[in-house]
Amino acid sequence: MKINVDEIFDVTSFNIDREPHIVLDTQVCVGCDQRGCTNSCPARCYTWSEEDQKMTFVYDGCLECGTCYVVCRQNAFTRWSYPRGGFGVSFRMT
Amino acid sequence: MKRSFDAIVIGAGPAGSSAALTLAKAGLDVALLERGSYPGEKNMFGGVLHRLTALEEHFPEFWNQAPLERHIVKKSLTFLTEESSFNVNFDTQASDRTPYNGYTVYRPRFDRWLADEAVKAGAKLYCGCTVEDLLKDGARITGVKVMRDGGEIKAPVVIAADGVLSFTAKKAGLRRPAFDPAQMAVGVKALIDLPKEVIDDRFGLVRDQGASNELVGCTQGVRGGGFLYTNYDSLSIGLVMHLGSLSESGKTPYDLLNAFMEQPQMAKLLKGGKLLEYSAHLVPEGGYDMIPETHGDGILVAGDAAALCIVTGLNLEGINLATHSGMLAGKAAIEAHQRKDFSKQSLSCYRRMLENSYVMQDLKLYRRTPHMLHNDRIYTQYPELLCGIMDEIYRIDGTPKDTMTKLLMRAVKEKIGLKNMLADVYSGWRAL
Repeated sequence: MKINVDEIFDVTSFNIDREPHIVLDTQVCVGCDQRGCTNSCPARCYTWSEEDQKMTFVYDGCLECGTCYVVCRQNAFTRWSYPRGGFGVSFRMT
Repeated sequence: MKRSFDAIVIGAGPAGSSAALTLAKAGLDVALLERGSYPGEKNMFGGVLHRLTALEEHFPEFWNQAPLERHIVKKSLTFLTEESSFNVNFDTQASDRTPYNGYTVYRPRFDRWLADEAVKAGAKLYCGCTVEDLLKDGARITGVKVMRDGGEIKAPVVIAADGVLSFTAKKAGLRRPAFDPAQMAVGVKALIDLPKEVIDDRFGLVRDQGASNELVGCTQGVRGGGFLYTNYDSLSIGLVMHLGSLSESGKTPYDLLNAFMEQPQMAKLLKGGKLLEYSAHLVPEGGYDMIPETHGDGILVAGDAAALCIVTGLNLEGINLATHSGMLAGKAAIEAHQRKDFSKQSLSCYRRMLENSYVMQDLKLYRRTPHMLHNDRIYTQYPELLCGIMDEIYRIDGTPKDTMTKLLMRAVKEKIGLKNMLADVYSGWRAL
């Protein structure tokens, strides 16, 4: 058995808000020497492209755990809040 | 929605609902605000629900009322390497009698039940209600601002039970603005569907008996551990990892979880199962030294928001501390209403109640444990040492055997070093 985190929507349910609850200033990430978010995020919301020197952040599959908020050493978030009421991840059985 | 209450509780998790229940039973008008569509929607844990003595005051036969899965009769600690496992098992009939010592639960069901009980007692539950900010009059908290409609709700006392990141405690200036990754852990969990009979057979259980298993050595050197719990007809399997260590390792939680689930001894237990849900949550693992200020003018902090969590490697406690602190916060708010004084001074009775309860006393007792667990040897070398020794003891291959003492000394020297081992034993002894 394996978890394919790219298919997170198949096993965990979301009600995605069009208004992002997390806003990342990706310019700050360029100067970061750690980028702990890219490996620590349990939903792989952060991808760093070495070739383009660019950080990509997608909040759709965010599990709202806060890992990125704690591991980011650069204060790269212009906004980090929980989604508006009723939106975001929905754990049904866990 | 009404705009004024006797008290506002932020978060309908175990701490918040216990506070709301306590307040409502005393006849106070309390608003219980939950950001999920239902209580428990945002919550998960990789844990055992221990005896909740605080809730037993409200529910004398708790186990007949709460929606529980199985009661734990078997507790195991396993040292795991890539191909071996060494297991220490505790199985007692005493845990098979009421009052049970612990249960597995589904948080969306359990949290919803507890919040509903608070509602039955008279609390008003508002779901889909994310708190955006605190209302202040000078330094005094006077209510909250809700995200959805920009509405303001007022109360002379606010109980922040908004979980591990507690933005409310931060806005009230009670906790430090940034977290230390060394004091936080992330838990990731897979919920695996399996028929009840299969679970009973594989784990040697009957009726509603359950098993809990903590594991060390399954994180490829990242500080942390694994867990495996039996629900009624599903298994919860996951890892809890220190954020500092995980972040530096470059490894990902899902790859580590996959490797853990594919380890041969684990794979046997999961065989035939289907993945139902994948979830993640943070755990405040810093212990006593991480606790923020627990009260201020017009505000009390309870549960995960106050970092009330005990991790010893053998036990993981959180919900019991949350419900107890929630109930005490409720009692403190009731006393403040009787005095008509919601100042920090008046609300300090909450801190005294916490100090006099097992909550703070246990946290103080295990104050050194988080430090002890920041020892990388625990997560690879010790599991390898133990499994290596067991392998030598059991293996018969025609070569003469060493005495146990020689065997042990050689293994310790090779894998850990005698000095390190003595230091670890001493530090473990002091911490536990």
